[in-house]
Amino acid sequence: MGNLRQPVYLEEKLKQVRESGRLNIRSKSLPTWCPGCGYFSIVDGVAMAINRLQISQKDVTVVSGIGCASRFPFFLETYGFHTLHGRTLPVATGIKVANDKLTVLAVGGDGDAFAIGGAHIPHAARRNVDITYLVFDNGIYGLTKGQTSPTSVLGFTTSTSPYKNQDQPLNPLLMMLSYGTSWVGQSYAGDPRHLSEMITQAMAHRGFSYLHILSPCVTFDKTSKTYTNLKAQVRWLPENHDSSDKMAAMKYAMDTDNPPIGLFYKESRPTLADNLNLVIESARGQGARASL
Amino acid sequence: MKETDIQLMFCGSAGDGTIAVGDIFKRAMAKAGYKVIAFDIYPPEIRGFGKCISRVRVTSRQAYSLKQESDVLVSLNDSYAIPHVPEVRDFGSVIYDNAPITSMAEGEHISGHLLPGQLPYGLRIREISDQTTGGSKSKNIVALGYLAGLFGIKPEPFHLIIRDKFKKKDPSIAESNLLAFDTAYTEGASTFRLDFIELGAPERQEIGSKVQMMTGNAAVVRGCLDAGLDCFFGYPITPATSIMERLATELPRRGGRLLQTEDEISAIAATIGAGYAGVRSATATSGPGLALMVEMLGLGVISEVPSVIFCSQRGGPSTGMPTKTEQSDLHLAVYGGAGDAQRIVLAPTNVEGAYRCAGKAFEMAEKYQTPVIVLLDLYLSNRYETVLLPRQNPFEGESSKHRSRVERGIPYSRFAFTEDHVSPRTIPGEEGGIHVITGLEHNEMGRPNDQSDMHNRMSEKRHKKLLAALDHPGITIHKRFGDTGSVDVGILGWGSTVGEILEAMLMAQAEGISCSVMKVVMLSPLPVEPIQHFFSDCREVLIPELNYEGQFANLVASAVSKPFTRFNRVPGVPMQVADILDQIRRLAERAKSSSAA
Ligand SMILES: Cc1ncc(C[n+]2csc(CCOP(=O)(O)OP(=O)(O)O)c2C)c(N)n1
Ligand code: SF4
Ligand SMILES: [Mg+2]
Repeated sequence: MGNLRQPVYLEEKLKQVRESGRLNIRSKSLPTWCPGCGYFSIVDGVAMAINRLQISQKDVTVVSGIGCASRFPFFLETYGFHTLHGRTLPVATGIKVANDKLTVLAVGGDGDAFAIGGAHIPHAARRNVDITYLVFDNGIYGLTKGQTSPTSVLGFTTSTSPYKNQDQPLNPLLMMLSYGTSWVGQSYAGDPRHLSEMITQAMAHRGFSYLHILSPCVTFDKTSKTYTNLKAQVRWLPENHDSSDKMAAMKYAMDTDNPPIGLFYKESRPTLADNLNLVIESARGQGARASL
Repeated sequence: MKETDIQLMFCGSAGDGTIAVGDIFKRAMAKAGYKVIAFDIYPPEIRGFGKCISRVRVTSRQAYSLKQESDVLVSLNDSYAIPHVPEVRDFGSVIYDNAPITSMAEGEHISGHLLPGQLPYGLRIREISDQTTGGSKSKNIVALGYLAGLFGIKPEPFHLIIRDKFKKKDPSIAESNLLAFDTAYTEGASTFRLDFIELGAPERQEIGSKVQMMTGNAAVVRGCLDAGLDCFFGYPITPATSIMERLATELPRRGGRLLQTEDEISAIAATIGAGYAGVRSATATSGPGLALMVEMLGLGVISEVPSVIFCSQRGGPSTGMPTKTEQSDLHLAVYGGAGDAQRIVLAPTNVEGAYRCAGKAFEMAEKYQTPVIVLLDLYLSNRYETVLLPRQNPFEGESSKHRSRVERGIPYSRFAFTEDHVSPRTIPGEEGGIHVITGLEHNEMGRPNDQSDMHNRMSEKRHKKLLAALDHPGITIHKRFGDTGSVDVGILGWGSTVGEILEAMLMAQAEGISCSVMKVVMLSPLPVEPIQHFFSDCREVLIPELNYEGQFANLVASAVSKPFTRFNRVPGVPMQVADILDQIRRLAERAKSSSAA
């Protein structure tokens, strides 16, 4: 194994992580992201959530697609599957159908989710697959070095839209709400505390939880979704927002100038596993117990 | 004991109950202990009155394929049946309604189209149906009763099947249909016959196995269930849909789970996800779906996750001919995808093989940690055969032994290099085996690594581990039939076409041609040595297949340097035995003259 590069720890980071009591949840591989990338805080947030929810690491599987965001599973000491561009959700669904006892996290970038993977999202949502989906939205394709994404703002200049982006950006939160997602929230990489709190809540939810995470790409976006801009734009959802009120949630989701962070919507309904168990029960006749 | 070998053809419209009567006939014959092979042709439209043909061959020993010529044609609709009259052999029989409802012009009635030497059997089919059931809907049952009486086939199995067929309806319906059957049976039994059609007694059943009649797709389902399938993910597509439909009923009864996904990409992705989680999982599709799946197949190959993919081929490219058969997805199955992505591809040649390959695919997928594609085609998926299923489940359960090789206490390497190139595998939830798998090239730990040395070693590992599959126990990888030793003509075949090839070989042998057939079931990795050996035994080699260019021939050409003859047809229906026979004769001629020269 002489080939293996020795992991190098940044002293500061190490100290910080050790102090939080979740060191063993981080893997020995140091993230390969650009210094300052918003994604670092998300690894910490997930590690903290796993720690807080007292889930055994061996029972966690992190599934991702392709992109900078999708490198995520390598940086946690849990089971993980770094799959194909856009195919995070169906792979995660398969894992969950096979073994409902596992805690399954799906992660990916905005391109992975809403461009190439867009067709899978409504189905994971309507089936209420009991997984947590974290989308890291930097409004750009980071891994391929800075092209336009489905969430790039109008007028944004990138290598593939040198004359400015003309395509109306998607509104992921509005989409997720209308797809029937049973838990929808938004957070922001510039607020690690809020982030870890939201990740914890999303993971605690039984059913399909979607957390939209605004996260700057410090390398390829110097003008649009920067820390400075995001910090100035984001607002907390009002405290009196009723998270069972979908109409209200949709109204807040439409505020793209000042993206609200917090829990938009939450409902409780049977998961895919519940429904498949019901199928087994009806196939076997009343009283039969599911076993697999 | 007299050998039985007769083939019947029922021809009529969808509304005439053509397929239904063919079904009762073949079930009754199977029940009586005969061996059956049957294939129906439907119109592509869902509704309407398109032409339906049900062909059933009844034999003492299991036949390899349907015959070119039928012994009996039963017309339920003359305008549809007339073009098929020439398919009836000399001294064969044609059964039709001789009292049609309206007077017909002479050319419209089938009796005017019979060839000299074919024997006509006219019966008041509609009238008997009217008299016994009060309507013309049971014309098919009347024709069936007449036919059974005519050829002296015992009525009891028919009674059983007819009762079963109508068991969900009002009991009076079954009774009137039985009356229709019996009335016609008596007429048939008292008819003076001139033909030479005779049935021998059925063969005794072999001990330790049970005979059942089923389609290729039903056999796939049985294989899946016997192998302990846990999860199935699919998206409907002809001709694979019936696999999912059957599993939708059967799988949950055994505690398994089935999900109809949003597309084929999702189906294979979830199959691989479930495979990663450690259960037996599968999907089923046809060419267009497999085309969508190949990127995921590559992921399955590089991440070394077990999965099973059934692909029932139809006419292509693109949407092609959804209700026609073809063998043109072989290249896609063997090579489809990015990079060097070798996988296992199995192609059963008959219904029993479909059962075996289906079950063994799960063993192989797990043992060699790879996607396994089982290639069928519309013909094999839909055709009925009587098969001997072993009473003892022939499939190995989940191969946990591959997992237990994980050594506790030392850091776990998911992709450790080993002697047999297969690495110990853990699954999520397992203590001490945490790892991440990826579609990126990686090192033994599964960490991304694109060093040339590592890529070399990993590529070698992924390729070489599959070679052991060529000796996988309990499955026929390749098999030789016919004359042994050196022969004039050797025929190399794969998939459902092997049935027609074997029939052609038997006929050629009867003509005194020295010939031999080799069927190849594992198409990837290819059993190169046995194929080379076969070539060295044959003066001429013929490769018949249902695709335009010769996709299997291309695989063979990459393995042997000797010349051979391609025989390609894309008619959308099974290959004609006579066409293969012609080729064999031609090559036998050439082999003779070249050896004389
Ligand atoms: C089928 C396929 N198409 C294209 C790519 C190239 N590709 C890799 S990542 C990516 C976009 C990543 O953007 P995003 O999902 O937003 O993730 P980020 O890098 O921004 O975190 C693309 C286009 C690929 N790997 N696979
Ligand atoms: S390119 Fe952008 S998204 Fe990717 S790691 Fe660097 S900063 Fe993060
Ligand atoms: Mg992005």
